[in-house]
Amino acid sequence: MNLSTVIEHYLFLSTVVFTIGAIGFLVRRNILVQLMSIELMLNSVNLLLVAFNRQHTSNMSGQMFAFFIIAVAAAEVAVGLAIVLQFYRLRATVNSDKATELRH
Amino acid sequence: MELLSQIFPAQDFSLLGVILGLPAIGALVNGLFGKRLGKEAVTLMALSAIGGAFIAAVTSFCMLQHASEGAHEHVRFYYKAWEWLSLKGQGPGVADFRDVRLDVAFSLDALNATMCLVITGIGFLIHLYSSKYMEHDPGYYRFFTYLNLFVFSMLVLVLGDSLPILFVGWEGVGLCSYLLIGFWFSEEANASAGKKAFITNRIGDFGLLVAMGLLAYYVGALDWVGIDEGRGQLLKAVKIWPVGDHVPIANLMPEGVKASLNEARYVSRATLVALALFLGAMGKSAQFILHVWLPDAMAGPTPVSALIHAATMVTAGVYLLCRLSGVMVLSPTAMFIVAAFGAFTAFFAATVALVQNDIKKVLAYSTVSQLGYMFLGVGVGAFTAGFFHVLTHAFFKACLFLGAGSVIHAMHARIHDTDQSQDMRNMGGMAKFMPGTFITFVAAWAAIVGTPLTSGFFSKDEILYKAKTSFITGPDQIPVAEMRSLSIDNFVWTESMGTGLYLVGWAAAIMTAFYMTRLVIGTFLGDFKGWKIVDGWQDPHAHDAHGHDAHDVHGHDHDTHGHDHDGHADDVPHHHHETPGVDHMDGPVPHESPWQMTLPLWILGGLAAFAGFFNAGALYHITHAESLISLEHWLHPVFSSASQVVQERESAHGFFWVGLSLAIVAWLSGVLFAGWMYIQKQGVPAAQLQARFPQVHAFLFDKWRVDEFYQETVIGALDSLAEICVWFDRWVVDGILARASAFLISLVGALLRQFQNGRVQTYSAFTAFGLFLVGCYVITPHDAARVTSNHLTGKYAIAATPGFGYSYRWDADGDEKGEWDSKKFGSRAEVDFDLEVNATRVVRLQVMNALGAVNEQKFEITRPAPSADEQPALRLEMTEEGLKQARPRAAGRDAARPGIGQPSAGPTGQMRPTAPGKQHPPTLDRRAAPHGASPSHGAEH
Repeated sequence: MNLSTVIEHYLFLSTVVFTIGAIGFLVRRNILVQLMSIELMLNSVNLLLVAFNRQHTSNMSGQMFAFFIIAVAAAEVAVGLAIVLQFYRLRATVNSDKATELRH
Repeated sequence: MELLSQIFPAQDFSLLGVILGLPAIGALVNGLFGKRLGKEAVTLMALSAIGGAFIAAVTSFCMLQHASEGAHEHVRFYYKAWEWLSLKGQGPGVADFRDVRLDVAFSLDALNATMCLVITGIGFLIHLYSSKYMEHDPGYYRFFTYLNLFVFSMLVLVLGDSLPILFVGWEGVGLCSYLLIGFWFSEEANASAGKKAFITNRIGDFGLLVAMGLLAYYVGALDWVGIDEGRGQLLKAVKIWPVGDHVPIANLMPEGVKASLNEARYVSRATLVALALFLGAMGKSAQFILHVWLPDAMAGPTPVSALIHAATMVTAGVYLLCRLSGVMVLSPTAMFIVAAFGAFTAFFAATVALVQNDIKKVLAYSTVSQLGYMFLGVGVGAFTAGFFHVLTHAFFKACLFLGAGSVIHAMHARIHDTDQSQDMRNMGGMAKFMPGTFITFVAAWAAIVGTPLTSGFFSKDEILYKAKTSFITGPDQIPVAEMRSLSIDNFVWTESMGTGLYLVGWAAAIMTAFYMTRLVIGTFLGDFKGWKIVDGWQDPHAHDAHGHDAHDVHGHDHDTHGHDHDGHADDVPHHHHETPGVDHMDGPVPHESPWQMTLPLWILGGLAAFAGFFNAGALYHITHAESLISLEHWLHPVFSSASQVVQERESAHGFFWVGLSLAIVAWLSGVLFAGWMYIQKQGVPAAQLQARFPQVHAFLFDKWRVDEFYQETVIGALDSLAEICVWFDRWVVDGILARASAFLISLVGALLRQFQNGRVQTYSAFTAFGLFLVGCYVITPHDAARVTSNHLTGKYAIAATPGFGYSYRWDADGDEKGEWDSKKFGSRAEVDFDLEVNATRVVRLQVMNALGAVNEQKFEITRPAPSADEQPALRLEMTEEGLKQARPRAAGRDAARPGIGQPSAGPTGQMRPTAPGKQHPPTLDRRAAPHGASPSHGAEH
């Protein structure tokens, strides 16, 4: 198997997923969907890291860092959902356009 | 006396401290605690303070007299309280270093000893008077505080040993005048009058400050002794026109005008100083231009008018000129101007007083007029005569004012309105209600109109006589160091000028006699006209049926005077047969004042009548008895230096009898004419004149419209200036600087605020965009390179920026073909080369990043020719030893090692010998790095 060409597939996939996640975060109004988009971005980066690790097997930092990202992502989702819950209690909606408390 | 001289030696005369300190303590105590102390305590404090000061003044006077007996020079008691400061600077000459010491020091000589007696004596009498006059006033303690403060300030003024101390007192009396004129400040007119007095004074004070500055600069001293000694410095000329070398606009004028514009004009320094001093005196003593505050000052309580505006404060100007008589006489021009202003003021104020109806206004203009006489006397060099008039005026004018106050006090019982109770047309017949006041008033009247043998006669007659016959000559008579003749100012005092002054003064004397007699007649003689004005009073003849009611309603205002009502309460028809107001009085009757008010009147009246014999000039001329001119002898040492240049005309002797008879003619004509007009003809001719010449009457009544003139010009100009400033403040400062800039900022803020919509998505979109831009920057290949040049050795190196995935292509071979050195991009990041002197090489660099983007940069390196100031030591041949030592030196910063001729760091910090052939490559040389190898960075060693 020729790994050097396979890496581009992973790169491509990762970039596409990251772009989907980024645009999803910027465009969608539903806070839960925004959270999911953030997860998409994080996971795409994870994929990329692991792919590069597979390419340079001697250096384990890729997989190590992926573990970190998984843990951090989990924590961040927990906190994010708590915030969304609280926001729902406040506004009875999960429409992020209504979250303008920090407006001028 | 000996004991006193021991306790109070002449050089440390602390009695002056007592004289000054007692009123100050009185003011302090009354001011701080007056409200709590109660009326009797306040009165006691104030009266005892002034009384104590008077006793101390009398003691000092006696001691001074004792010390002056047999003394041939000017005796002065001196007391220094503390040192204040000293002014150091440069005078007009090269060698004139000035160290002007200002000490808080006081001195007593004949002149101010007399003034002290007047101030404390008359001050005490007026304090006594006010204790009854102001009895029912709620601001009682405040009044006495101000009065004591005033006496203190006035004493500082007259006792001060130098001009700055005098100025402290000068300002102090101005302040107290303001406080006392505006005593009843809840009325706006009174407050305005106070302000007017203070501001007009201030304009004069500018003159005094200028004079002080000039004296400090020219003479170098500000105390009396120093000024007297150094006044010769004032006899030099000063160029006052043009300022600088020429007048700028003169170049536009035709030749003749230009020449006369540019012509230098000189006056003597003494003229400038004297005129500045006179400006100060004008403000304080209400001479013509700055007189406008004195009539308005009648808004204050009458004792204030008596003390401040008759006896003491207004004479401060005369005192100033007398004190600095040595300086004033150095300038005949200025002295004549003083005399002319004085004569004119006397005349002008007398004309205004002819038609006034308010007693206090008549007396105020009379004061202005008499002040004019004092300045006339001082201006012609008759200092003693002018000062004597100060004394006599203090006596008779204070008596007149206090008498008027007594009358007003009585009128207030019937008429509570301030203006109406002072109007002569509501008075008349007061003689029978207030006999004591009447007699003293007549005594003072006799003095002011110039009845022979009264004080006013002697002083006024002396002034008029001296006006005609006395004049100031040039200063060549003064034995001072440097003298210039009279021709500095080109002023000649001719005999006709003296005659002119005399005639103006004489006319004023006639008018004085006239209006004062009119005042006495209008107030004290004839029928009482004030019975129509009481509030709610109804004429019993008009309403018989209501006669009872009319009485009962208002008749019980004054219980002490209600006894009249009992007689006719049930006698209605009684009224028809009696002339109202004369046979009996309805309502409160004017009554004589209590003893605290009449005693000062008697004392002052007596002095007004008999004090003339202290300086009975006219009698002296006849009898030559020395005891008749005791004041002249007393004051002689003070004015001795000034009198050297005061001369008498040859025609003086012949004029004496003419002058005396003219004085008596003036007195008689004025008094008799007024008597005829107002007693015999009941004022009918006056009314007819007024009807025939209404404009003249209006002009005089409106005080020559000086106030209106000032309102239009000076005050109008200031108002316009204020308007301009308001406009500027509103539109430029507020509008442009404040509001426009705020508007601009809020505009930009409104623009920027659109970005803050509170939505996280917007914010992250901006973040992503920013990241993208950063990425773009990072990705473009950077083609900047570092050029290391060493002009001395000719070695140059160019190091390109390292970057991830960069590869480089150079064109550094020096040929101008424009070809790259190698076709492919390599990893060589540095090139170095040598140049000859004045040679130029163009080096090109292409940088390619990992994505294939390429950027190009061009470097042009020139080796300049060595300049002349290059250190030749660099050219020294160095030994091997020195070379070995040079190497580590180049690398690091070691301490200087002993080597031959090693100069310290040159342009690049690296020293290289110029010996050819010994080259040390400063950098590593990388050539043709292998492909695929990890990129290497150009490194320094």
